Amino acid sequence: MSTAVGRLVRAELALMTRDPLVLTFVFAFPIVTMLIIGGAFGTTPDQAFDGVNPAHWYVASYLTVVIAATGLVMLPVHLASYRERGVLRRFAAAGFPRWSFAIAQLIVGLMTTAVACALLLAVAAPVYGLPAVHDGWRVAVALPLGAIAFVSIGVLLGSLLPSARAAQAVGLLIFFPSFLLGAGGPPPHVMGSVVRQVAGPLPLTLLTNAVRAPWLGLGPATGSLIGVAVLAVAATAVAAYRTAL
Amino acid sequence: MSEPDVVSVRGLRKSYRARVVVDGLDLDVPAGEIVGLIGANGAGKTTTVECVQGLRRPDAGTLRVLGYDPVTQAGQLRPLVGSQLQDSALPDRLRVAEAIDLFSTARARAGGELLEQFGLAARRRSVFSSLSGGERQRLFLILALLNRPRLVILDELTQGLDPAARRNVWAAVRQLNDEGTTVLLVTHEMDEAEALCGQVAVMRSGRVVDAGAPADLVERHASTATIRFSMPDPPAGLLDLLRRLDGVRQVERSGALVTVRGHRRIIAYVGAALVRWEPVPTDLSVHVPSLEDALLGLLNGETGEHGEPVACTPADKELAGGRR
Repeated sequence: MSTAVGRLVRAELALMTRDPLVLTFVFAFPIVTMLIIGGAFGTTPDQAFDGVNPAHWYVASYLTVVIAATGLVMLPVHLASYRERGVLRRFAAAGFPRWSFAIAQLIVGLMTTAVACALLLAVAAPVYGLPAVHDGWRVAVALPLGAIAFVSIGVLLGSLLPSARAAQAVGLLIFFPSFLLGAGGPPPHVMGSVVRQVAGPLPLTLLTNAVRAPWLGLGPATGSLIGVAVLAVAATAVAAYRTAL
Repeated sequence: MSEPDVVSVRGLRKSYRARVVVDGLDLDVPAGEIVGLIGANGAGKTTTVECVQGLRRPDAGTLRVLGYDPVTQAGQLRPLVGSQLQDSALPDRLRVAEAIDLFSTARARAGGELLEQFGLAARRRSVFSSLSGGERQRLFLILALLNRPRLVILDELTQGLDPAARRNVWAAVRQLNDEGTTVLLVTHEMDEAEALCGQVAVMRSGRVVDAGAPADLVERHASTATIRFSMPDPPAGLLDLLRRLDGVRQVERSGALVTVRGHRRIIAYVGAALVRWEPVPTDLSVHVPSLEDALLGLLNGETGEHGEPVACTPADKELAGGRR
């Protein structure tokens, strides 16, 4: 790959393998919490989980946790650190095309997400079994759209926040409520009405609905899917504008 | 017809909030020259070169760099400019050889040769965070030169380098210039500016206050040479003779120490006069004014040697003008 994007992607991947601890949050956190919470609720179908196996409910939900961890925690810190230290200025001064860095981060973020999702499923399969996918097309559309949306949000946060420490603080502040309300926490049926109303429009809730419902045969979740698509387009456009070199 | 200037800046203004950093700056960098931009901290030098590279958007003014507008045509311009930026870095774990690969375009010269030239060949597998300050500077210089740029912008080029490394870098810049590359050099090191630059522009408070060849600036702003020697019992008439020499402005005697001040040409006259009297002083010392003296004079707002206001010659104005 000799294009600017190709060279950036190759360098970023090499750097990632050299600093595997950076990926711990994206790779290990979703797996560990999925195993804990899946084990806590057991495998007996439950009405609180729309009548499905709770462990399967969480397997279908936790793919989006991987996506959110990448977008809300890993990327903002990474990008803010680059900006803080003048790495982005160096790329800009060296004549890297205007959009090359944003595109490279999108590609690296999507690749990271794909690997982390595969790892999560590989761990879940022997422990809880993988739930059958009822509407594969919708899941196949929702996952990459969600990944694009959250990676773009991550790139955007990294371009807005003044330092790596600020990015970490803000990223975690957004991630954990989103995680608890929209993917890895209690199912919506056991939430109070106010909490459910707060959780409903959150980006991670929309994405989780758009993936989990068609996966487990709980409905098409078309509204959530449209919401994710709109978010993906908007976040990508703003992120690309903000990170233009 | 003469070749157009590589850099042409007119009326550049740039503020950060209420603070005006560059205030109506004019600057021309002729093709094939090494032009130095010197001045105190906060004079606006780095902001100026960042605007020239298209890294900052000016508030006002017109800029043409290699025929392009850095604001609207940054995409076409940047591949033609090599730059070594102040306060920038590479990812900590990026190896030297990987940095070369990352920054190499189709126009790139052989990275291995540059690594050899700048003494980094043995460090090609080292990660950026393990490099010393001097090694980082040399790597940045390699990256600036890598893609055969037509204009190279070097900001605090030799900061952190030891004397030997500085000389190597200077030699590389001269070689680059000999090959036809135009260089815009931002520096605090006056010996560097004197050694490398055919022209320098002196900035103060966001403006160019004077410009010209280093020797011309010294002549205009710091032409006073000082000669000192010991003579416990000066022969009758010697001090009067020294006072009458062409260019001598002051002769002082304090105990055995005699101090003579005047234009640089007094160095020859005083030396010639002294050898006619016995015994000749054995501790004669000469302070020749340098570009640093000229800069200090300019930055302190002093006027020329004889009290006249500082003014650019027409030739200087081809390089840089003052405020508009």
